[in-house]
Amino acid sequence: MPAVAIRDAIHTIGLTKRFGRTVALDRLDLTVEAGEVFGYLGPNGAGKSTTLRLLLGHLRPTAGQAWIFGRASGDAAAAHRHLAYVPEDVALWPALTGAETLELLADIGPGIDRRYRDELVQRFELEVDRRCGTYSTGNRQKVALVAAFATDVPLLIFDEPAAGLDPLMEQQFRQCIAAAVTRGQTVFLSSHHLAEVDAVCQRVGILREGRLVEVADLNDLRRLRLTEVDVSFRGTPPDLEQLSAVPGVSNVHQLSPSRLSLTLAGPPAAALRILATAEVLALNVREPSLEEIFLEYYGQPAT
Amino acid sequence: MTRFPRLAVRLIRRGFLILLILVPGLSAIVVVQYRYTFADPADAISLQVLAENPAIRVLFGVPVAIDNAGGFTVWRTGTFVAAGLASWALLTATRITRGEEQSGRWGLLLTGRLRLPSVVAHHLAVLLGAQLLLGAALAVALIVAGAGIQGALIYALGFTLIGMLFAAVGTLCAQLVAERRTASGIAAAVLGFALLLRMVSDGVERLAWLSGLTPFGLLAEAEPYAANRLGPLAAMALMVAAVAGLAILAAVHRDVGSGLITGSEIRPGRFRLLRSLPGFAIRRLLPSALGWAAGLCAYFLIIGLVARSLTEFLIENPRFADLAAQAGFAGLATVQGYAAALFALLAIPMGVFAASRLSYDAADEADGRLAVVFSRPLTRSRWALVQIAVLVAAIVALAMAAGVATVTGTALAGANLRLTEALAGALNVVPVAVLCLGAAQVAIGWVPQAVLALGAAPAVGGFLLTVLVETFGGPNWLAQLSPFAHLAWVPATAPDWAGAAGMIGISVLLAGLGIAGFARRDLRG
Repeated sequence: MPAVAIRDAIHTIGLTKRFGRTVALDRLDLTVEAGEVFGYLGPNGAGKSTTLRLLLGHLRPTAGQAWIFGRASGDAAAAHRHLAYVPEDVALWPALTGAETLELLADIGPGIDRRYRDELVQRFELEVDRRCGTYSTGNRQKVALVAAFATDVPLLIFDEPAAGLDPLMEQQFRQCIAAAVTRGQTVFLSSHHLAEVDAVCQRVGILREGRLVEVADLNDLRRLRLTEVDVSFRGTPPDLEQLSAVPGVSNVHQLSPSRLSLTLAGPPAAALRILATAEVLALNVREPSLEEIFLEYYGQPAT
Repeated sequence: MTRFPRLAVRLIRRGFLILLILVPGLSAIVVVQYRYTFADPADAISLQVLAENPAIRVLFGVPVAIDNAGGFTVWRTGTFVAAGLASWALLTATRITRGEEQSGRWGLLLTGRLRLPSVVAHHLAVLLGAQLLLGAALAVALIVAGAGIQGALIYALGFTLIGMLFAAVGTLCAQLVAERRTASGIAAAVLGFALLLRMVSDGVERLAWLSGLTPFGLLAEAEPYAANRLGPLAAMALMVAAVAGLAILAAVHRDVGSGLITGSEIRPGRFRLLRSLPGFAIRRLLPSALGWAAGLCAYFLIIGLVARSLTEFLIENPRFADLAAQAGFAGLATVQGYAAALFALLAIPMGVFAASRLSYDAADEADGRLAVVFSRPLTRSRWALVQIAVLVAAIVALAMAAGVATVTGTALAGANLRLTEALAGALNVVPVAVLCLGAAQVAIGWVPQAVLALGAAPAVGGFLLTVLVETFGGPNWLAQLSPFAHLAWVPATAPDWAGAAGMIGISVLLAGLGIAGFARRDLRG
């Protein structure tokens, strides 16, 4: 077994899962360091849930290995002492109430902060005396989220956590993530809900058809991307030819006698010097949204 | 419009095809068996004497026409085959109605033009149609095997109506409660009660009128191959129409996704038995185990109560032992032998109980309920071991309850059976149920779609194998494959310790193999 740094929350080498002929996950090499909030992005069927279930040892890898804080993912008794998990579609025993389910999960779990759990129940407005059979999708998800956040573990793994939550509860969810980070917990969050990832994650991995196509800091990801610049000015326009010649500048368009647009990659200093030759009234710089970055990876135009 | 029945047909196809072979096949086999066994008129007369035995009457019903092959088949197999068919009908009804609705798949169906009552009605219609086909196949098989036409038609019609009635009962229960398992449980309890009523009405002369309240009694009153009455069948048809009508009516008055009886959605938490894995396993098991215990206790209480009339019968008919042995009921000549024969049957419900509980585990996994549980520091082997241990304890407890119920019955009736004898007889069949548990665990590990079928195989399949080999003969090794070949007639004889040890040993191996498979494979759901 290769040496694995215990401090890495998640580490995988060549992690592969095939279902028959379908390759659900192809040679995933990924490291998530302790303390970070990592967003795992991809459209439906890209292999996000498969990855999570491999990390939990619920699926056996066809090839490769995964470790949770240095413990092999297949060793549930050891690896699961360090994590809590919320699946995408939470299924609970219909005859148990929410409170009973939380109690069960606490008692077979690695330790729990009961006071924080009670606080979470309040914050998520969970009716814990209701039988789980009567819960909506969102309420079932809340039960699992409360159980996970209250568990005293260094790693939280979420699969599409906010799928069934209303905007107010989503807000609570983001606050809980922030609180988890403050406590030093690592969060691994799989999602195609980009606003959520944008709001809470520092680093993202982008998965496409079972392959990890990018892992980057969210800010770096933006910086590497094209920024759209919209300039309004008075009087003589800047020299468009000179502007187009600046490395990194492209798509220069004169929109009206007093307005132009361009796209910019890399540092803006050289372009700004040329723009400054005109009397600039307004400068609108728009970074691409995560959605636009995301769609770029999947070869679709942003609308 | 036509899509809905087609969907329902797809959902019942596999079980239906198996029954389409099994039900007519078994009945035809018994018709042929009759010719082999009772070719000599003297044998037929001794059978007549045997059938007067009250114990036999409780088990098989009142014989009305056992002087011919058809009547004998009805008497010998009617109740058992009809009860089996009724179980399939009610379980299938709750599965394709409440099960599908609970999984959310009906939400899609109901966005179309059809309303809930129509969808329920369509599914029920498919189930009733399936029963009709099974009944037709049964009639053809009986006629082809050489049993008379009129009796075959009456019997097959009654048989069809029993299947239809319990398909309707299952559908009605699926409208009453919002959970499939609860609906199945209630419907199964109705079936158990109907069977008990039949036993009581046949065993206790003063209560004979009760038979008019149960479809099994009505089928007997129709007297296929004897009087061939249509009246009782008409009463059964009315029952079917009433229950089916109630099911549709209930569907009209309820919301999609809920039952007519909503129960309390909100209740204070009960945290006992949630604090540990074994505790949780016991808590999950308890309601159904108590239900099975109630059914088995009622059955064996009646068995015990009847033992007295058996003793009297034995004193009056000293030649009975010879006759019984000739007819393949050796051992029924003493209360101990009678108890032993009935305790052997106990292996079947206990085995089915064990297999069905593990099949619920498999369903929990497929529905994703185990995903969160298995994200906790808990190995799958430990989970499986705990479930098995709790189930073994439950099987032993069920056996002891059946033993105590029997002895309560014999004590009340003044028959001579000691508590230790009854307990020994009931516990004697525990290895067969444990074998079912082992087989079910193998299925969980390697073929999780077939837990109930594989798990019930040692008890149900073994019993059928024994009956078939006894009827038609066969190589010794084939007979030895059945667990029942390794059961001694306790308390009439001493236990077969080697057989018991062998079955337990095989169960342990099977469980180990199953747990190993479960720990290594991908989790479903």
